[in-house]
Amino acid sequence: MKADAPRVASGANITIDGLAKRFGQVTAVDHFSVDIAAGEFLALLGPSGSGKTTVLMSIAGFEFPTEGSIRIGGEDVTYTPANRRNLGMVFQKYTLFPHLSVLDNVAFPLKMRGVSKPERHKRAEAALATVRLAGYGSRMPNQLSGGQQQRVALARAIVYHPRVLLMDEPLSALDKNLREEMQLEIKRLHSELGITVVFVTHDQAEALTMANRVAVLKDGRIQQIGPAPELYERPANLFTAGFIGEMNFLPGRLAAAGKTPSIKLDAGPEWRLPAAALIDTPSPGQSVVATVRPERVSLGSEGAAGAIPVRVQDVVYAGAAVLLIGVADCGTELRARLSGVSEVADLRPGDMAHLVVPPEAVLLYAGAAAA
Amino acid sequence: MSIFAATPPATASGALARLMRSDGRRISSLGSLLLMAPFFLLMGFVFVWPIVNLLAISVLEPQPTFDNYGRVLSNPVYALVLMRTLWIAVLVTGLTLLFSYPVAYAMTRAKGPTLVLITACVLLPFWSSVLVRTAAWAVLLQRNGLVNQGLQWFGLTSEPVRLLYTQGAVVVAMTHVLMPFMILPIYGALRNISPDYMRAAAVLGASRSRAFREVMLPLSLPGVLSGSILVFLTALGFFVTPALLGSPQEMMIATLVSQQIRETLDWPFAAALVGVLTLFVSLIAVIFSKAVRFDRLMGGRE
Repeated sequence: MKADAPRVASGANITIDGLAKRFGQVTAVDHFSVDIAAGEFLALLGPSGSGKTTVLMSIAGFEFPTEGSIRIGGEDVTYTPANRRNLGMVFQKYTLFPHLSVLDNVAFPLKMRGVSKPERHKRAEAALATVRLAGYGSRMPNQLSGGQQQRVALARAIVYHPRVLLMDEPLSALDKNLREEMQLEIKRLHSELGITVVFVTHDQAEALTMANRVAVLKDGRIQQIGPAPELYERPANLFTAGFIGEMNFLPGRLAAAGKTPSIKLDAGPEWRLPAAALIDTPSPGQSVVATVRPERVSLGSEGAAGAIPVRVQDVVYAGAAVLLIGVADCGTELRARLSGVSEVADLRPGDMAHLVVPPEAVLLYAGAAAA
Repeated sequence: MSIFAATPPATASGALARLMRSDGRRISSLGSLLLMAPFFLLMGFVFVWPIVNLLAISVLEPQPTFDNYGRVLSNPVYALVLMRTLWIAVLVTGLTLLFSYPVAYAMTRAKGPTLVLITACVLLPFWSSVLVRTAAWAVLLQRNGLVNQGLQWFGLTSEPVRLLYTQGAVVVAMTHVLMPFMILPIYGALRNISPDYMRAAAVLGASRSRAFREVMLPLSLPGVLSGSILVFLTALGFFVTPALLGSPQEMMIATLVSQQIRETLDWPFAAALVGVLTLFVSLIAVIFSKAVRFDRLMGGRE
């Protein structure tokens, strides 16, 4: 690809098929397949050791997979060296070359592509302007703040118009305010350039706000992949349910299957649920876990239908809402985020409270809750 | 040296109180003075005092005069010795750098047993005496030594070549003896370069060799510089190797000084030679240290 070709406002699609990476006995990634559309923003989300970084390193060309293939823009790059893939990448630590000025850092990839000095300086200036750092070119990297350095790294990664931008936890070294500012900056660049972005993070809020689709990884496998609302509203399994956002897990037994399944909770009440609540298909008598988001739980009066009696353990004031932590008779902890401060004003640790859950807020999974 | 530059004390007791003040995190000025005292006493006793004494001899004996320095400058033989010493030091520094960089680079890439092996090869000779290493070269380079045997076996020469007692022998042996002083600083500098820089260079389109040239090499320059200073300054005053392996017709300054002291017993003149060498060494050290600080400023290190 000619480096000084006019800006093409489209990224490349990435097809990863059956990717596996083993380091000796350890399997870092297994059966990893995903189709990333051109111009899509995909986040790889998972706890440390989930294999998300290995996937990114395989796309970048720093790791060669044990099995499977990676195609970028239809071209098989599985074993292509990193310097011939023409990808942009932003690392966790800024990795600006400390011996080069900001402008020379941004011009570095153009220099590698044989662009003449005046031309590459002109284009580096333009790229710095895109990340709102025009005029900073003559400074040395260590004269910039962390956020500015990361923006320079971003400019350096896009100055040669790669069709794919890889980001390895690029914001984790920044403080909260800067991080949010950079999130918006990256989103803006993504929509401006139409570039395909693969973004690795362990911060679920970051993944949910930034990405078109989020892939949740655990132990080297995709647990669920989908748009943010789907992941939050309808987690495919108990891991995703617990990993994305806060969740209450209520163990019980399926009393009846069918159109209106019902469950008998260990915590006391029996609930009748809509058929859509069933994520898995357990049979009657099997142990199940009912999940519900704390913000869907509300305070009910004694004797309300389906209410779970809990002993209040703590009432935590958290600004917009109050977090009530209660423990049911069976020992299950239940959390409720209540928006009205007044209704919990006189609840003290040790008091009894009755928590109500709307049936449509409940999702049902087979199996036992992981402690 | 902020301790000594502190504001002048109003009273002696006030000064003492200030010296003994400690904020619990840092030791008091008095504490650090006491801790440093043994070192400075030792340096004063074994280094500063003798050299001041020697330099005093160069201008005070036989009577207060600069004649000794005049002799150093007027007789071209001595200027030649000085120039030769400088040239050999430059040559040795260049060769040491040439051979040490790859070794240091290999050390950063090596792991486990290989790293231990390379480190041992670098450090074991370093820990053994210079005399032993020089003697080893004398054995290798002698008339019927391994090198001459090898040359004849390969048919490069029909009879033994004179290797020992030449400038070449001195340069080879000094390069070997001084290599650890070059390898270790370069290794330190290379090891401090995060592998992420090389990854970044690769993803930005640099081939391995290009990434080395554009990123690794410039970032390792502080190590190269400090290694070069160490080797160059050590080489300037090197005595054992030139004395044992060198040609008496092609003396270096340290051997000349020794000869003046032990054979002609001309202490004032030897002292003047030392004075000139000291001046050179100090000048070069000052110039180099400015250069190094300049490099740090350019971001070689955090």
